[in-house]
Amino acid sequence: MSVKLSDALLKSVEKPSRYTGNEWNSVIKDPKSVDIRFAFCFPDSYEVGMSHLGMKILYHLLNERNDCYCERVFAPWTDMEEKMRQNSIPLYGLESKDPIRDFDFVGFTLQYEMSFTNIINMLDLAGIPLTSDKRSDSDSFVCAGGPCAYNPEPLADIIDFFMMGEGEEIINEVMDAYAKWKGTGRSRQEFLEDIAKIEGIYVPAFYDVSYNEDGTISSFEPKKPDYPVKIKKRIIKDMDKAYFPEKIIVPYTDIVHDRIMLEVFRGCTRGCRFCQAGFIYRPVREKSHKRLLELANKLEESSGYEEISLTSLSTSDYTELHELTTGLLDEMEEKKVNLSLPSLRIDSFSLDLMEKAQKVRKSGLTFAPEAGTQRLRDVINKGVTEEDLINAVSLAFNGGWNGVKLYFMLGLPTETMEDVEGIADLAYKVVNAYKNVPREKKGKGLNVTVSTSSFVPKAFTPFQWEPQDSREILNEKQMFLKSKIRSKQVTYNYHENRLSLLEAVFARGDRKTCKVLLKAWEMGCKFDSWGEHFKFDVWMKAFEECGVAPYFYATRKREYEELLPWDHIDIGVSKKYLINESKKALEGKITPNCRVNCGGCGATIFDSGICGGN
Amino acid sequence: MSIIRVKFKRGDEVKFISHLDLMKVFERAIRRARLPIAYSQGFNPHPGMVFGLPLGVGVTSEAEYGDFEITDDEMSPQEFADRLNLQLPKGIEVLSAKKKVSKQNIMATIAASEYIVIVGTPAESSQKTLKAAIDKYLSQEEIVVKKRTKNGVKDTDIRGMIFDLNFELQPCGTFNIIRFTALVSAGSKANLKPDLLIESLCGYLGIEYEIDRIHRTKLFVRSQDQLLDPMEEVV
Repeated sequence: MSVKLSDALLKSVEKPSRYTGNEWNSVIKDPKSVDIRFAFCFPDSYEVGMSHLGMKILYHLLNERNDCYCERVFAPWTDMEEKMRQNSIPLYGLESKDPIRDFDFVGFTLQYEMSFTNIINMLDLAGIPLTSDKRSDSDSFVCAGGPCAYNPEPLADIIDFFMMGEGEEIINEVMDAYAKWKGTGRSRQEFLEDIAKIEGIYVPAFYDVSYNEDGTISSFEPKKPDYPVKIKKRIIKDMDKAYFPEKIIVPYTDIVHDRIMLEVFRGCTRGCRFCQAGFIYRPVREKSHKRLLELANKLEESSGYEEISLTSLSTSDYTELHELTTGLLDEMEEKKVNLSLPSLRIDSFSLDLMEKAQKVRKSGLTFAPEAGTQRLRDVINKGVTEEDLINAVSLAFNGGWNGVKLYFMLGLPTETMEDVEGIADLAYKVVNAYKNVPREKKGKGLNVTVSTSSFVPKAFTPFQWEPQDSREILNEKQMFLKSKIRSKQVTYNYHENRLSLLEAVFARGDRKTCKVLLKAWEMGCKFDSWGEHFKFDVWMKAFEECGVAPYFYATRKREYEELLPWDHIDIGVSKKYLINESKKALEGKITPNCRVNCGGCGATIFDSGICGGN
Repeated sequence: MSIIRVKFKRGDEVKFISHLDLMKVFERAIRRARLPIAYSQGFNPHPGMVFGLPLGVGVTSEAEYGDFEITDDEMSPQEFADRLNLQLPKGIEVLSAKKKVSKQNIMATIAASEYIVIVGTPAESSQKTLKAAIDKYLSQEEIVVKKRTKNGVKDTDIRGMIFDLNFELQPCGTFNIIRFTALVSAGSKANLKPDLLIESLCGYLGIEYEIDRIHRTKLFVRSQDQLLDPMEEVV
């Protein structure tokens, strides 16, 4: 029975079309015609979740199966949640409006740590027991995947099973196993045992963890010998053959990325040491420009979108970028489709390309030097020099651009006040570069924006052992930098570092942090990544009540010998390599791009992409 | 260049999308249908589309109008409508299309709109007593309501904006279902929202009420002091 949403209720909430579905290309099936019902949940608002490419892929992939009906579920905004609770309306699938507690699977995509309380809130709204041990045979299986699943431990009590790595194949294997299991009368436990044999499946309840007196982990053991000791992530070997939908949902209401997203490649060869994506998505695997042009045409035709965006971690590194952009510009111009090109390194080729692609005002260009001095950029292996940056901005200023955004991180390992001051120096050098451009060539009125975020050490990076700066030190650095930037042409913005502290806890948290999540939710925390809903003091109280110290996770330096909460997950990059990179970082030694020289990280075991000899 | 005037409906499936979002729906449907829409010049080219009168959130309609400027003078309105219909989401459907000859812009000429408003009230009045009360309501020289405008709440006399008001009463257990048919001012000069009229009327009658649904049945343009169907006006 589907839920009843009255007109009066929908009229009383903001943007009701977030809750009514029926968008173009959404998939409607007869629930009676399928064996498996899957609720694909994004633990944030509709606008954020609908912008996520992974969901678009897996939603259509699951719906290609005749035996499966996949529906979308987003976190209702607080006004809608209040109405739903008042009227006893359980969380429902957007397509059928059926309560998701009746579905076979409730799957969450984990894109950022600060969405974890929304997962709990959504389970509660659905009427599904919050923790695995409370669920019985009649309850849905709660599963999860996505980048934050690589350290699954903070959610170990909540999620029945995780899918590690890229989902296109593994999710089908799980569905096949479920189709076989369903109706046999075998137990919930037995299904989990079945799928634990699938490479990439992690069932947290199948493992015992014990701790040392100092709170670190002493052992992590499978409860039975046939459960895997290491869970290997899955990857798609051939991106041209990988499933990609030819239709995507076109929402009614404005979403964050309201355009066609063309995924150019996965992975990144640059090896920036702070960047988790740069390690977990190895090896780099590209789609051919021919396949991308074919997809672009089909998606444009089926969606009517007026903009295509190329997405990847570093689009300038794409081998066939020239062929692809020439082809897209040729075909899309007459269709009046704009090409948007984020994450392009600024050089004469890309500036020329942007000029051709986007008939927009030459306002802002974005650069991410990440650190203020060459020494620190070498520590983090950000292969950008001051000369590179000044050359690039000079080119841009000569081409008429007059706005530059510069992104940095504060609190990187080994950072000193000299490095912080280097950020201001770099901003002034950009201002000087503008002054050196002949008046007739440059745009009027320079605007340089310096933004700093606080460094969050992540699992599976060479910095996974590093402490995060305390909030006191981060505040001091922010204030110091503020005092150093006094030009009218430079604006300084810094991110809230209280959120960064919590991110640092859950990015490297163990199973003990799970009860803090539950407690914080119980005390009213949700939508934590939305400033207006973030309740830092409540979080601190939750830590206190659970007897868990946030600093143990955020600001503690770990030894290489320590058993880390995520050590049982195998991303293909060896721990030995990460230790080696960590040591090189502290010595300020850089590691070249994988395309130049194989660093021996271990990802060759996948025998694919640039590691496959291509 | 020629302009095609289209009459379309908006059903329950799409009654919660905003006017701005509706324009995007048409823009993308036109692109999918590969219709030869004309685009404006400049940095952000806009498709040549003008719509009649925005519909309130939650309101359905069988009388929505839009003017579409196309670059192919040979294309028949029927072909335009058929191709567009294949690409419109459930709930939006083109009912008819005609080539527009008059110079009038649909948005500027809208003058009146007819709505059906279904209201639930406690079963206190009969058809007869209600008729008398409504006649008395309408016989007032002025009917002042608090109208929300851009500059805050303003007292506005709406008597002149009510052209016609009929109703049917249907007892339904402890409830009366009243089905109002209201012809009211619409457009940029004077616009009376049906829920505001019902609020004013029920306030005057002193009855509790709940609006169950609002549905637009007709939209009129003014041409030489006459109210005309927008599809008639074009020829």
